Amino acid sequence: MAAKKAGPASLKLPAVLDLNEASNLHGKLVSMRGSDLRIDASGVERVGVQCAQVLLAGVKAWEEDKKSLLVEKASDAFQKTMQLIGINNQNLVAKEI
Amino acid sequence: MDMNEIKEIFFQECEEQLAELESGLLKLNDGDRDPETVNAVFRAVHSIKGGAGAFGLDDLVSFAHVFETTLDCVRSNKLEPTQDVLKVMLKSADVLADLVTASRDGGGVDASRSRGLVKELEALAHGELPSSSGHDAPKPAAKAAPAAAPAAKAELLKPSDDSGFQPIPFSFDGFGEDDEPAVEGSLYEVTFKPRRELYSKGNEAALLLRDLSRLGEMSINCDTDALPTLDKMDPEASYFSWKISIRTTRSEDDIRAVFEFAEWDCDLEVKFAEEASSNEELPMVPVPFDLSILDDSSAGEDERTSERGASEETVAAALSAAETASNVSRAARVAEKKESAAASAAAQNNAAAAAAGAGQTIRVDLDRVDRLINLVGELVINQAMLSQSVVENDATGTSAVNMGLEELQQLTREIQDSVMAIRAQPVKPVFQRMSRIVREVADMVGKSIRLVTEGENTEVDKTVIDKIAEPLTHMIRNAVDHGIESPEKREAAGKDPEGTIKLTAKHRSGRILIELADDGAGINRERVRQKAIDNDIIAADANLSDDEIDNLIFMAGFSTADKISDISGRGVGMDVVKRSIQALGGRISISSRPGYGSTFTMSLPLTLAVLDGMVVTVAGQTLVVPLTAIVETLQPEASAIHSFGANQRLISIRNSFCPLVDVGRVLNYRATQANPVEGVALLVESEGGGQRALMVDAIQGQRQVVIKSLEANYTHVPGIAAATILGDGRVALILDVDAVVAASRGQSMKPEMSLAATG
Repeated sequence: MAAKKAGPASLKLPAVLDLNEASNLHGKLVSMRGSDLRIDASGVERVGVQCAQVLLAGVKAWEEDKKSLLVEKASDAFQKTMQLIGINNQNLVAKEI
Repeated sequence: MDMNEIKEIFFQECEEQLAELESGLLKLNDGDRDPETVNAVFRAVHSIKGGAGAFGLDDLVSFAHVFETTLDCVRSNKLEPTQDVLKVMLKSADVLADLVTASRDGGGVDASRSRGLVKELEALAHGELPSSSGHDAPKPAAKAAPAAAPAAKAELLKPSDDSGFQPIPFSFDGFGEDDEPAVEGSLYEVTFKPRRELYSKGNEAALLLRDLSRLGEMSINCDTDALPTLDKMDPEASYFSWKISIRTTRSEDDIRAVFEFAEWDCDLEVKFAEEASSNEELPMVPVPFDLSILDDSSAGEDERTSERGASEETVAAALSAAETASNVSRAARVAEKKESAAASAAAQNNAAAAAAGAGQTIRVDLDRVDRLINLVGELVINQAMLSQSVVENDATGTSAVNMGLEELQQLTREIQDSVMAIRAQPVKPVFQRMSRIVREVADMVGKSIRLVTEGENTEVDKTVIDKIAEPLTHMIRNAVDHGIESPEKREAAGKDPEGTIKLTAKHRSGRILIELADDGAGINRERVRQKAIDNDIIAADANLSDDEIDNLIFMAGFSTADKISDISGRGVGMDVVKRSIQALGGRISISSRPGYGSTFTMSLPLTLAVLDGMVVTVAGQTLVVPLTAIVETLQPEASAIHSFGANQRLISIRNSFCPLVDVGRVLNYRATQANPVEGVALLVESEGGGQRALMVDAIQGQRQVVIKSLEANYTHVPGIAAATILGDGRVALILDVDAVVAASRGQSMKPEMSLAATG
């Protein structure tokens, strides 16, 4: 789980993560670099591969920065899609809590 | 934009696709084995299918589907596109065209014909694909695909329905190794690498993967190596690619079908990895309930659904009990529409991408163009009137007004040229239609005939194109039915049993020349002559040249066919053809060599709207001679004029003799022959190739004139092509040079006949 220190930033993902959202999401992630991040994917209803790409790149970037990035409260749709497209990155595929 | 308009666009696109399809198939028939050609053909059928699906044109979809399946075999090199195969394909293209027409205009198609072809197509595909059996199979298959798609879409469209995802539950843990296959089938390795375009066209790799997962038990491996770092990545590019192994009872084609609308935007590889371990036929029959039971019983392994039909059922099952089945089907229907709309959009994108290379086009209603052309025509007349009145009122001729007028004239000209260019279309579509007629008629009469077309990109005014189709059809039928001999006769005569009909279009002296040549037996002059005598067309003792005999077939009510057949010989013969060609301001002639075939030559004006002409005076009348026909003008000298025969005269030009044609005499403007020395000779080139000197009284000038049809406003006048309005508002007649030349030659013939005798 995210470290308690310094209150990690949080990002609530929109319901539809499609092609149009990819750039947005990318922009948001880039601007949020440097601090821990919790991603709230509870409201996600649709995920496109391009957003998944952005998210995965984000995870890698955060790893590089040695900060934590974690997807919390992933919606069913989010999890299923990640599974479907074969993304089993620990940080993205939120564990059942 | 309402649905009908969209539908109209779809049908327009269908026509283009059909043309593409046919030309592709013909190329293949000629031995072209370029994969791109096969792809183009496939794409054409595919796009039609996609669009038809969006409009719920089931007949069209199911036929296109079967056709496509067979084409796919060709594409994947499973089926060698031999002549026989292509014969079926060309026929299928015809049926497809009929189905499109039937869908647009209502009415039916010959069901037995399309059924027969469906069988043949399947038999072709069947040779390699034993899994599809019976000619009914593809229909359910075709329906099953869209049926599954809605289910797929439904859950995305209604995401609140979390349960919607359940039918394809999917767990990673289950995919580690080859766990015990409860679903039997073959193992395929699929490599899927989407390109950027796939996404930008609105496709979504996740959806494709999900559809794929429905085919069977699938394990997936996402290759993320290509993913750059966050700051370097392009959020809309494509980085992920997948390696998927899927165990399915479906065929490789079914796997490919999942990617069908995306396949031009991704790298896809489907490899067969392992033999099926059970009977493949069984799963072709949807047994949804059994499968859902299977799902229930294997609770832990519910991740696999092997049947699309089943997945739909399970969607229904998974939806909360409150929802009625009708809701589901409604949602499914809506989703189906969206899905197919997206699909057709994707297909259109493909077409658009292909078209982008060929320059961009817009569709404009023909009426608008016509209105514009008409207005420009009036503008030209107006401009001519204006400049004439300025010239009349301004003796000095140096004023600035004159300068301005000249510029105006140039501008009008340019505008006119550009506007005319809008209407100019290649004759290709008409020629393509002909190849179908040749095929069908040849089939009917049991002959083997090849149509060779040349110069199909020759451009001519749209009205001309529209109007030549009918006479051309008639002539082609004639050529196939009467012109080309039966294969046996041909062989006996030492010819290739396969006959050839050659259709050529070219520009010649400002007109379009369409030639239809067959390598058949040629005109049986003895019979034509006898028939003409029997029908009182000519006197029994008439002395006719071969050419004249050949041209007898253009006489009304003339048919040499021994018996009336379905195809031609109903008495509506070449005279009708000739009349329609003449109505276009064109001419038709025939030349025939016994044993070697006949050639029909049609000469048509490029445009029915404007003409560059030389305004001349003949016996006090103002006439316009098309400039394109004139080679040079000269003032004859008395010493150059020689008499020839009773009333023919020749003019010697640079040591060669050229017949002198007295226009005033031919058109009956005057009773006596004019004195050549007092007039001007226009050296013209007639369509037969020879030169003639037309004698006129004086040249008034050179002008662009707007053609006003005489036929439309009055009636056809022999020797006159059309009329025009001059700058001073008077009407002038436009001379039909070839007709005048011909009339000067064949005076024994009736005026009607002489028009044709230009060969």
